[in-house]
Amino acid sequence: MPNIETLALLSIGLPWAGALLVWLVQDRKPPLQHALAVIFALAGAAAAIAMIPLKTDVNVLHFPLGSAFGLVTFLPDGLAVFLAVVATTIGSLAVIFSVDYMRGERQLGRYYAYVLFFIGSMVGLVLSSNLLLIFVFWEITALCSYALISFYNDDPKAVSAGIKALIITQVGGIGLLAGALFLYAYQGNYDVPTFLAGAARLPPNVLALMAFGFLIAAAAKSAQFPFQTWLPDAMEAPTPVSALIHAATMVNAGVYLLARFYPAFEAVPNWKLAVVAVGAITALMAAVMAIVSNDLKRVLAYSTVSQLGYMVYAIGTGGIFASQFHLLSHAVFKALLFLSAGAVIHAVHTRDMREMGGLGKQMPLVKVVMIIGGLALAGIPVLNGFWSKELVLEAGHEGGPLWAWLFMLVGAGLTALYTLRFLSMVFYGEPRGGPHVHDAGPAMKIALVPLALGTLTTWLLAGSFGHFLGSALPEGHEVLGTAALLTRIATAPATFVALAVVALGLAAWWQRSKLAGVAHALRGVGKMASQSFGFEALNRGVVRLTVASAESLRTTHNGVLNWNVMAILVGLVVVLAILALGGA
Amino acid sequence: MSLPLPLVAAVAVLGLLGVGLLGLLVTRNLIKAVVAMQVLVKGALLALVLAGRLSGQVQTGQTMALTVIVADTIVSVVALALAVQVRRQFGTLDLQALSTLRR
Amino acid sequence: MFDLLIVAAMLVCAFQAVRAPRLLIAALWLAGASALTALMMYRLGAPEVAVIELSVGAGLVTVLFVFAINIAGEEPPVTLRSLVPAPLAWVAALCAVGLGVAMALPNLRAESALVQSERFATVLWERRSLDVLLQVVLIGGGVLAVLGLLAEGRADARKELK
Repeated sequence: MPNIETLALLSIGLPWAGALLVWLVQDRKPPLQHALAVIFALAGAAAAIAMIPLKTDVNVLHFPLGSAFGLVTFLPDGLAVFLAVVATTIGSLAVIFSVDYMRGERQLGRYYAYVLFFIGSMVGLVLSSNLLLIFVFWEITALCSYALISFYNDDPKAVSAGIKALIITQVGGIGLLAGALFLYAYQGNYDVPTFLAGAARLPPNVLALMAFGFLIAAAAKSAQFPFQTWLPDAMEAPTPVSALIHAATMVNAGVYLLARFYPAFEAVPNWKLAVVAVGAITALMAAVMAIVSNDLKRVLAYSTVSQLGYMVYAIGTGGIFASQFHLLSHAVFKALLFLSAGAVIHAVHTRDMREMGGLGKQMPLVKVVMIIGGLALAGIPVLNGFWSKELVLEAGHEGGPLWAWLFMLVGAGLTALYTLRFLSMVFYGEPRGGPHVHDAGPAMKIALVPLALGTLTTWLLAGSFGHFLGSALPEGHEVLGTAALLTRIATAPATFVALAVVALGLAAWWQRSKLAGVAHALRGVGKMASQSFGFEALNRGVVRLTVASAESLRTTHNGVLNWNVMAILVGLVVVLAILALGGA
Repeated sequence: MSLPLPLVAAVAVLGLLGVGLLGLLVTRNLIKAVVAMQVLVKGALLALVLAGRLSGQVQTGQTMALTVIVADTIVSVVALALAVQVRRQFGTLDLQALSTLRR
Repeated sequence: MFDLLIVAAMLVCAFQAVRAPRLLIAALWLAGASALTALMMYRLGAPEVAVIELSVGAGLVTVLFVFAINIAGEEPPVTLRSLVPAPLAWVAALCAVGLGVAMALPNLRAESALVQSERFATVLWERRSLDVLLQVVLIGGGVLAVLGLLAEGRADARKELK
């Protein structure tokens, strides 16, 4: 049994090796590429799962990188190993799904290489305990996300969506880099555990700057308010990519960042309130936007944004365990929903739900698994989404302001509403798809079934999950066993209130013909929602500004030796001047 | 008047560096650029030897200078071979004509 | 005094090398600058490196330049305007050199006592043997690069054979 250091390196290195090999095999042998991708993804997952019993709370693996970058260290504690397992396992299932979904597509080498590269980097992100290394992996995941969103690079919509995602997440990443540099300036190294243990040593305004910088970075990465417009547009990516990156892993990086650094920042005044506000506003806003959208993947994207808002809200109220538990449930059922949506889209060749309908008879397996996922999303009892969402609401009720809790409650009702809406639009009603609608292929089924089973069962791990997270949870959190936890959730009064709201949401869709008057009155809100409440225009402006400034700076890259040397010389003069003035 | 040797040598180093940089900035011919780079490296060599002498580690300074001589010679060899090939392929050694980046 | 003369001559040679209109003349001025650098190195107490610099820098590299210039051919003698405006280049170079002077000259220490008492050969071959390995690798790489660059393409060779 290899030790934890080897496993940590393997879980990052095996997907990366797979990426290199798939790229080297070249596109003349697609079956080999499919096979290699699946093998290396599963190998990475095996390495990550093997780390579970070996988790430790001390830094492992010390590579010195010189005095400027400090030590490269990894910290495979409960939180990190949990997210590594999620990333690699759901990654493997998405890769297996891609075998059917991407059959016959060109440039598979590029696709699989980026997907595997991404999986390895995500594992690296969560395992690192050197803040600069976290930033490096953060950037690598952003690069892979951009490359995969724009995978169909002859489609201008996909390309512009990719650039938009890149610019918005990178602008947020500046917050992370600034925080890392502040840490180095005041602590002398980039070590995260040292920082978490002694955050009070930093001057309060620097700590506040770091806290809000990290919040901006996390909000941009997880598509929270006010950065939420890139995720729905990123649905131009192939669906397995949407399932992996934009539902189960990369967008969780922001939540991970907040959860990891919560012990350091919880004392910063107004930080927790800001986190709660971001989460609550996002959750409600995205739920409203999901109700009015007609594109199946966009509904799921808004739903992801909304559920991430729940997780962020939970962190803001101090319920780290609740947020991570909801992360686990959400990763499973959202990946399930996206992959089954992929099966549907692959069958009917359209993403518009108004052209679907009555597909339940022709796609029985997909219908069943998607209904399971949908019920989990809506928070129907017994499924994992119910337990985790109720835990989030309970944590919010205890630790957060009342207005935010009411937002989340309404959001839960709206979630049930839009879930039932998209399920009925796709699978019930008049069949509008063509006659050649086939059920999911074999590889797709292999990917979907474990996720459905997971949705039905991951809530049973609640107690052991709490023990596993262990030291990553803030002090004062009592870790309960599964039965005790479930009983507490089931008997809390907040749960019944939430269930009532969910039932209200379901009833609203069911009786929608009778509520047509209400729907008509709220039409204005609906129109605003489809424009993303004005943020779309804002973000488009930002993107246009960035691209314009890049074009205007192109003249500095003229490739002439003399000007390049001039630039070097100017840089040298600046450095010498700074040194001369600084020393004097 | 007799100036101390380190001062004279430092003047030499800085002068060579300046001339070399000026050459790289002003020339339009690929081979002249290699000549200017050679001048630059001579300045660096003198700087290494001077630093060795000033810090008392004369032999280490010399060894590093030797490595730099070898490296710089290889660089000029490869650069000249490149220049010859460029001349054969494109017919010109003018830096502006050779730059194909979109403006 | 003698050193000052050497330095002055060296700088004149270097300047002429950069400014010469014809490439062959520039190569010859460069040879002169190399020789004077070697002399300067000898004056600074590094005789071994001085002789190597003389033979390699002034000898080998000059021959190389002449060879390459002959193969590549001289450019037509039209003097083209430089791409970076000449005043700007002068200002930038003078700024850099001026800053260097301002920073380095006040801090020039007096020569410290000789710390290393070993011979040059000992230091080179035993202490810094990795440097020697590096030089060998560089030379090997350079030879391969030049062979690759100057080889005729396979299509050309086949055309010649026909």
